[in-house]
Amino acid sequence: MPQLVFLTVFFAALLALGGCSSEPEPGPEPQKTYRHSMDGTPTGLDPAHASNVYAGFLVVNLFDTLYRYRYLARPYEITENLAAGPPVVSADGLTYTITLKQGVRFQHDPAFDQGVGREVSAEDLVYSLKRHFDPEVRSRGSWLWRDRIQGMAEWQAQGSDYDQPVTGLRALDRYTVEVRLTRPFPQFVYTLTTAHSALVPREVVEARGREFGTAPVGSGPFRLISMDTTRAELERNPEYRREKIDLAAEGFDPLRHAGLGLESVDGREMPLVDRAVVDFVVDGASGWVSFTAGNEIQYVRLPPDLFDQALASRSPPRLKPDLEQQYHLHVTPEFGVTQIVFNLDDPGIGYQPDPEANLRNRDLRCALRKAFDWDQRNQVFYGGIAQIYPGVIPPAVPEFDPDADRSSVTHDPEGARQILQRLGSAENLPVLEYTYNSGVAQQRGFEQFRGQMSAVGYPDDKITRRVFATFPDVSRAASNRELQIWVYGWTMDYPDAENVLALFYGPNRAPGNNVTNYANPEYDRLFEQAAAMQPSPERTAIYRQLNQMLIDDCVSIAGVTRVRAYLTHRDVIGVPDRELVGGYFLRFVDVVETP
Amino acid sequence: MMWQRWWERVRQDPVTLAALVLIMLFFGVACGSWLGLIGGGWSDTSSLLRGGFSAEHWFGTNAIGQDIFQRAVFGTGVAFQVGVSVALGATLLGAVFGSLAGYFHQRAGDGLIGWLMGVIESIPFYLLVAALAFAMQGHNLAMYLAMTLAFWTTTARLVRAETIRLRQMPFVEAARTLGVGQSAILSRHILPNTSHLLLIQFTITFVGAVKAEVVLSFLGLGIQDGVSWGLMIAESTSDLLAGHFSNFLVASISLFLLVMALNLLADAMQDALDPRFSHPADPGPAEPSPAEPSHGT
Repeated sequence: MPQLVFLTVFFAALLALGGCSSEPEPGPEPQKTYRHSMDGTPTGLDPAHASNVYAGFLVVNLFDTLYRYRYLARPYEITENLAAGPPVVSADGLTYTITLKQGVRFQHDPAFDQGVGREVSAEDLVYSLKRHFDPEVRSRGSWLWRDRIQGMAEWQAQGSDYDQPVTGLRALDRYTVEVRLTRPFPQFVYTLTTAHSALVPREVVEARGREFGTAPVGSGPFRLISMDTTRAELERNPEYRREKIDLAAEGFDPLRHAGLGLESVDGREMPLVDRAVVDFVVDGASGWVSFTAGNEIQYVRLPPDLFDQALASRSPPRLKPDLEQQYHLHVTPEFGVTQIVFNLDDPGIGYQPDPEANLRNRDLRCALRKAFDWDQRNQVFYGGIAQIYPGVIPPAVPEFDPDADRSSVTHDPEGARQILQRLGSAENLPVLEYTYNSGVAQQRGFEQFRGQMSAVGYPDDKITRRVFATFPDVSRAASNRELQIWVYGWTMDYPDAENVLALFYGPNRAPGNNVTNYANPEYDRLFEQAAAMQPSPERTAIYRQLNQMLIDDCVSIAGVTRVRAYLTHRDVIGVPDRELVGGYFLRFVDVVETP
Repeated sequence: MMWQRWWERVRQDPVTLAALVLIMLFFGVACGSWLGLIGGGWSDTSSLLRGGFSAEHWFGTNAIGQDIFQRAVFGTGVAFQVGVSVALGATLLGAVFGSLAGYFHQRAGDGLIGWLMGVIESIPFYLLVAALAFAMQGHNLAMYLAMTLAFWTTTARLVRAETIRLRQMPFVEAARTLGVGQSAILSRHILPNTSHLLLIQFTITFVGAVKAEVVLSFLGLGIQDGVSWGLMIAESTSDLLAGHFSNFLVASISLFLLVMALNLLADAMQDALDPRFSHPADPGPAEPSPAEPSHGT
């Protein structure tokens, strides 16, 4: 009998426990997570140091910029972000007055009064722009505004004291900023979309010091949970202003964006996901494996080597049916230009005091350009879908000339041979030194270049290589004018051809961005004239004239714009764009349950 | 006598004999490449991108239209060049430092050399090469120098142990009594008696260097001017994605065959020349046996 009682009590207790555990517990709602990938690592999360696209991608999600690009509109269009409206520009184009949205708050942080994020104000913009001119910050974005803002140079010369005013940069009231420029700079508003222009809170920056770059605090749609060399994890910023998506205003086109499910995000509050995990996957094959695993990254760049296996057609790019059922394909041209540049300071191929020798070197450069086969480079390195065009103005900007003469990008080995013969015997030809950073693809690039040059009679032993360990080493050597021939890529900062034409403007010569050290007074004069003009047919004509000058002087072998193919899982609702929209895309992305 | 013993050993074992023939074949190809008779067109490009096997291109072409056969031939020359240079350098260094340390056993020189070996062995091999490559700004010799620096210590330890044993032998005592100088004792009486060790270590280091070159070239730290099997394997990562395997197969099969043949030969050499292996009944004095370089791959 005692045994029976014991068993009864025992099972009763078990049932009771079972009953307790079967009662549904009100737990937290499942988090919606989007897993992104990037093929590189960020330089740092301090806006002053966000000098690569990977850093920029994260920074614009952690901080606010005054302006951004519309999510879906192409060609790119600028729109307000933290600014309440477009800037008011004075008649002389020198004064910009910008009003900020009210009620926007920074994320909570102990550095704030009582640890509660305070409201973002005009003073924050003033402080954030000043930081770029504080030598201690070592900003990598100061070039955007150098010599452009009145009084900034003087402020810097006087010791960069943040409590001292800058005549051309001041807060008129709590929400209004006035910027006075030294000369007209129609592209100024574009600079306020860059990650460098993001607003940072002074008290947190001063409290964190150098650690601000690893523990950032901003007013963006996400906040940082963690970051290491392989991954960054972000979560929704609960303090983010309650802004809703207006798909029409973002440039939604029912035809162009058909089948992507974008309609479902219209009218919803940003950001749409609770967590965003960004994996840094440099190797294309590894990215592909992770993407196709199904439960890892949901976005990847399709490596050109996989085009044959993944694409049913390249023009227009279309996925094979089995892949189309699982993934969305997004094809976007990069926003920039890649070219093989010559250092004109190099006496072997560049400027010479003797006009005849000068002309001879120009002919030599033109011969190398004729010998270069863009189509083959496109096939090998860009999957055959890159855009090749004469000069440096890419198709993505309105100043591009679709009817320009294409002879400068046409493979003409016979023309190259004739020029080389005219230049004399092989012994007279200079030794060419092609520089690249260590890597298989880069080495292949060199070998292809050498193969094409030797095919037109350039002696093999006169085409040498110089290899640096890393890409920044190459950039440094280019800035020091140590290189002769190398591949130079430029991602544009804003949709205006001025940004690429400035690469050949005399005063910008190395260590500035004019790494070719091109020096042409007529070019400089026209560039200065156009740089102060608002967009117009007249300005476009000047831009095209400048482009033609570069072609005629054979300053580089140009140009190509890589076209990138991206894939997203079908459960991802979004149109990724690594170019100008960049990280702004993350606030619009949604993840849905798929059947 | 030593060589005769080795040849007898090789002759009796058909597998080792086949390995020797294979090595001679590879060596012949390497000589042809050095003399410019074959493989000279390794860098020429063509419009046939990732082409298949054909009469014109026996093993097909790579992504930029280069002939894979010519590149494999040139790579054979590079493999031997790296193997011989590094094995020679490491063996020489190991012999000199090992014999000095052994001869001056338990004196300051021995301690200093022991400390130096300890320091070098404590640095991971690839880290050492990367540091040297960075310091030498991608110079061609960086890889050779780093491998030699990393590999000599194993040889030195073995030679040191053998020298400690030899310096107590009667013939060395006799030479010392007759007033023969220390350098003469080392060079005429001790070092020649370590030659069996040096030969075996040379072969083993050769194998280690060939393998290490492939790994280093794959990582972008290896050969800077030219092509090697490691570079071919590195290139093939993108070829594999695109479904082209010849670059990978040709380079890795070549590497496999040469390394396998060299290993078999090294084994035969060890069996024939090492006293412990040739006289199994007599265990002899306790000493470490020749081993692969501790920093090897």
